[in-house]
Amino acid sequence: MVIIIKNMNKKILLSLRFVLIFATIMVLNYSHNGLNVLSPGYTLALIYLLSNLILFFIPEKTLNRNIASFSIFLFDILTISLAIYFSQGAQTDLYLVYFLVIFMASVGQNMNGSIPIAIVACLIYGWIIYRANPGISLLDSRILIRIPFLFMIALFSSYWSQSTRRELKKKEELERFNRELEKEVARVVAEEIELRQYSEKIINCVSSGVIAIRDDGVITTLNPEALRVFDLTTDAVGFNINQYEFLFPLWEKMQATVASQSTVARDEITLKIQSREVPIGFSLSPISGATGRFSGCVAIFKDLSEIRALEQQLKHAEQLGYIGKMASWVAHEIRNPLTAIDGFAQLLETTVDHDKIMKYSSEIHKGSQRISYIIEDILAFARTKRKIEYMEVDLKKIIESIAKSMPNIKINVSGILSPVCQGESESLRRIFINLISNSAEAIDENGQIWIDFKEAEGHIITEIRDNGSGISDEDLKKMFTPFFTRKQRGTGLGLSIVIKILKEHGGRIEIDSKKGLGTTCRVFIPTNATRETVNNKKEEM
Amino acid sequence: MNKKILICDDEESIRLLLTETLKDYYTITEAADGHEALKLITKENFDLLIIDIKMPGTHGLEAIERIRERNQEIPIIICSAYRLMEDDIIVKTSDVNAFITKPIDIKQLKMKVAEVIGS
Repeated sequence: MVIIIKNMNKKILLSLRFVLIFATIMVLNYSHNGLNVLSPGYTLALIYLLSNLILFFIPEKTLNRNIASFSIFLFDILTISLAIYFSQGAQTDLYLVYFLVIFMASVGQNMNGSIPIAIVACLIYGWIIYRANPGISLLDSRILIRIPFLFMIALFSSYWSQSTRRELKKKEELERFNRELEKEVARVVAEEIELRQYSEKIINCVSSGVIAIRDDGVITTLNPEALRVFDLTTDAVGFNINQYEFLFPLWEKMQATVASQSTVARDEITLKIQSREVPIGFSLSPISGATGRFSGCVAIFKDLSEIRALEQQLKHAEQLGYIGKMASWVAHEIRNPLTAIDGFAQLLETTVDHDKIMKYSSEIHKGSQRISYIIEDILAFARTKRKIEYMEVDLKKIIESIAKSMPNIKINVSGILSPVCQGESESLRRIFINLISNSAEAIDENGQIWIDFKEAEGHIITEIRDNGSGISDEDLKKMFTPFFTRKQRGTGLGLSIVIKILKEHGGRIEIDSKKGLGTTCRVFIPTNATRETVNNKKEEM
Repeated sequence: MNKKILICDDEESIRLLLTETLKDYYTITEAADGHEALKLITKENFDLLIIDIKMPGTHGLEAIERIRERNQEIPIIICSAYRLMEDDIIVKTSDVNAFITKPIDIKQLKMKVAEVIGS
């Protein structure tokens, strides 16, 4: 019945009406008058049947309109009443067909439709009974029972159909809501999948390795690069980190990050992966999920093996290049004095002249000295760190003795009277010889050198200033490169040696220069360099 | 009259060695670099130039090129520590008359000079 109500369409309406017509014909047939071709009942049945055939051609939309269906049911009531009238059947059971019509009206139209139909049916039936039995008492069972019954049927059936309809409507709404909910869920799921795929794609195409581990140690993410570096398969996702012992050093760092809830921007560790030491550079960030379900830590890392190998190669190549440069420099520097020594020795063989012998011997001596000077420079430069024999050194005395050995240069000394520091006298002397020689070579005949001593912040500061040719910015950058020289007789090691000695003493140097205006060097040497501090400083370098 | 030789080497001891070896036979003038040599050659005539090719400032080879631009005649002997093949030094052989490598063999030097200068 539920289906019928729900689909009170044309077909069902017509079928029910056929039943109605059939019932009417049957009742007419078995009535007091019977059914023959000449009786008005026969014409009525025919019209009734015809009406149903006409309805067959009326579009369903029109039939569904309230006024149309109300008219149809009214027509049914009138037809049945006429049938009762024609069959003289106030006493027959034809009135039962009213129930069917009222029921149909309730199903098709609800209470607004069925009550008026019931009223019409009651009035007509009451009139028919009255006509058949004039003077009938109101208390007669035909009036007292049948008419209220028609009303009751109208009320009950419309109440039933209305409540069923309401429930149906509710159910329909619920179903529609469910369908929409399902659609929404599907959409959200699809979106979620797309989003997850999108983030997965991003993580997967990152050239760095990405590994995420939950607080409980379960690996939640591993991108292809991470799988490659760790030599794992995707199966590892979902497993506990406990199963991968080689990742413990990284896991420890990740746990520390989670504990402190602070990111690690850059760090390095070495993991032992399949008996291979793999240096890894990584950054860590704690992940805190709203529910805590996914809170843990993510590591983004780079396999540094290749970079380290390249660095090693570069270092090696640099060292080789350095050795090559040194060797060619040594060969060239030594060949000239050697040529002189060899040549003058050959000349010695050819002469007995005392003056010539003296001259040639002196040249041989000079050549040997030059070679020994070069060797000294190389040794000073190449010397490894060593212990310094600390003594009190008066820098002023050193400067004065150097100035004395350069009588042609005007050197002005000023500043504190006894600039005393701790150090190795000969090494410190070498620093100042190199720097003052540089200045002396930079100045012309009108040039001067000023040397000033100061003491500040535990250092003796010796300032060596000249008004010589100065150094171009470009050359200033190369100043400290070994073998770089702008001088004809330079070894290119002077400043390298200065820096080396200063480092050994825990000191430093600053150089300012303007091309054409002169150069100022400031040498900082600690006054009380204890061995510890010197050693510390050496470590830093 | 003695033939005149110009010796150009940045190393003082080498210049002195060459001078001491040759001064008994030739008149020697010394130049400390290519620039100076070029100046001297434009001022006076020399019968021979002995020049080092590795010098700071004006490079020896550049100096030879410039000298040849002004003076096609003057014989040139290169005296250098470079071995030509080893160091890929490209010298137009038409520009120079002989090579002497350092360390210098005194006898060979005298012979080569005599050969080139023709005395």
